[in-house]
Amino acid sequence: MTWITWRQYRYQSAIATGLLAAVAVVVLISGSHAASVWHSVLHRCGTGQCGGLFGSSTSLDGPVINALVVATAAVPLLPGLLWGAPMVAHELETKTNQFAWTQSVTRWRWLAVKSGWMLLSAAIIAGVVAALVTWWSGPDHALNADTFLANRFDIVDIVPVAYAIFAMALGICAGTVLRRTVPALAVTLIGFVGLRALTAQWLRLHYMAPVTAFYNLLKPYIPSGSYLGVAQGIVGANHKIAAPNFNVPNFNGVPMPAACQTAQKPIPCLASHGYQGFLTYQPANRFWAFQGIETGIFLVLAAVLLGVTFSVLRRRDA
Amino acid sequence: MSAAIETRGLSKRYRKVTALGDCSIDVPEGRISALVGPNGAGKTTLLRLLSGLAAPTSGEAIVLGGSPRQDPAYLSAIGYLAQDIPLYRRLSAADHTGIGAHLNARWDGASVRVRLSRLNIPLDQPVGTLSGGQRAQVALALTLAKRPQLLLLDEPLAALDPLARRIFLGTLAEAAAEGNLTIVLSSHLIADIEQLCDHLILLANSQVQLCGDIETLIAEHRLLVGPRKDTTAIARSHTIVREETTARQTSLLVRLNGPLVDPAWSLEEPNLEELVLGYMSQNYSSRGINTELAQLSPIGGGR
Repeated sequence: MTWITWRQYRYQSAIATGLLAAVAVVVLISGSHAASVWHSVLHRCGTGQCGGLFGSSTSLDGPVINALVVATAAVPLLPGLLWGAPMVAHELETKTNQFAWTQSVTRWRWLAVKSGWMLLSAAIIAGVVAALVTWWSGPDHALNADTFLANRFDIVDIVPVAYAIFAMALGICAGTVLRRTVPALAVTLIGFVGLRALTAQWLRLHYMAPVTAFYNLLKPYIPSGSYLGVAQGIVGANHKIAAPNFNVPNFNGVPMPAACQTAQKPIPCLASHGYQGFLTYQPANRFWAFQGIETGIFLVLAAVLLGVTFSVLRRRDA
Repeated sequence: MSAAIETRGLSKRYRKVTALGDCSIDVPEGRISALVGPNGAGKTTLLRLLSGLAAPTSGEAIVLGGSPRQDPAYLSAIGYLAQDIPLYRRLSAADHTGIGAHLNARWDGASVRVRLSRLNIPLDQPVGTLSGGQRAQVALALTLAKRPQLLLLDEPLAALDPLARRIFLGTLAEAAAEGNLTIVLSSHLIADIEQLCDHLILLANSQVQLCGDIETLIAEHRLLVGPRKDTTAIARSHTIVREETTARQTSLLVRLNGPLVDPAWSLEEPNLEELVLGYMSQNYSSRGINTELAQLSPIGGGR
């Protein structure tokens, strides 16, 4: 079975390896450049001449390479889309399954070996790209402290590998259940993008109970390191959010006390009346816990999808 | 001789449609059985049930001493050639031989090369570029390379021209002569397979109409042609399979239940085609559909 998988996918493997190599070359060249700029900046900072480099994210890398790195968010989807969805569906469409499944190998073994190699390839491809991006992003993250943000968190460290395994399992399962390649492609695409958007925009904010900090309105508060913001706003005295009352003037949705309604500068006035700013967030030290939790979620879903695939193949006629 | 295939009440239903109903057949070892019937009669369903690709809704099949199942030992004893001869179009015959060698513990790759080179079929060309006849030969050679005990072939002749058909059947006859091999071959080209087969399974409307040794079946039937007259006397002691009456004469296909001597009728043994068409058109007319179509093939009318 291993030989057959290799025989059927050797051209695709060669193309994938070529593309990976091309991405690697670009990222390595750009990353080395970024690293050397970063080191020279550090060196100058050591002598007290940081200049205007901090806060400027485009100084280390050009917009093109930056776009390329952000676009690697799509990499985990591709193996599942291109290889996973057609894996069973295309065999059923061309009826070659009737050839493959009447040799002396049971169809579960056929599925197990083939999907095993598919999952491994997807994990390797996503893992290599994620490793490159993680390395490339090192100076950038140190400079901008943005590694916990969506679009950064999603393309570094271990989560891309879990995304790729999930996408592959989704593709194989959709192809097996729907029996046709094109609908399976659509389901894989929509399912992957939908779940990724759902986790990045909403679910991830709630993996652990967030921390809330209250701060003086006159002294903006920024947590140390790269944090994940959940909510931000203004509260009245005693941290109580005043009940919405739109009959009186509002400031960011918070009803203003009468004394401040006519004030020239509302913020100092609010601050003097006990109003505070608050920031609800996931602190930087939870980064790895969140990577682990999200990896776990996608791996469990992948296992469920593979379980469905096996049971469908076992129970349904070929 | 023991049975290679034995089914009892084998049925397959897809939602409300019965693809095969209450099928009970026996095929002894070493026979070459013709599985015939009109389109949609359940031939493919029966072969898929026997191959283990599909599971029955009810009833059971005993094939080579066990029920068809997903198990390497069973799969290695079965050679299955599906309808439309599915192969990987971009792979060559040699690639397929490689696949076979990796998927089968018992594999005679050399026989594939011998068979195909004798027919001048290129081994290293993608099979998608071969003609239908060549592709059928590749598929048959691959199926035979498993050295199966039971060969299940689903309409392998349908897409072939007459010459390719003859070569294909020649290969099959050779393989049958070589060793202990039972073959079930579905087709609606009765004339083509008459020479090869010695056993018949006739399906119509998802039911088994006839199953048995061809010579015996023919000996049990007679074609009766005579002037138009009452047939109740015949029907009392024999079974009238099909009756056809024109203005002047009556022709009957009769299954004998004993000796039949009646000078009013001319008696003849039917050939295989007449036998099969008789049962198939009986089925059409008895259900009240398409009696016109049934009359297109009058039994023994032109003899």
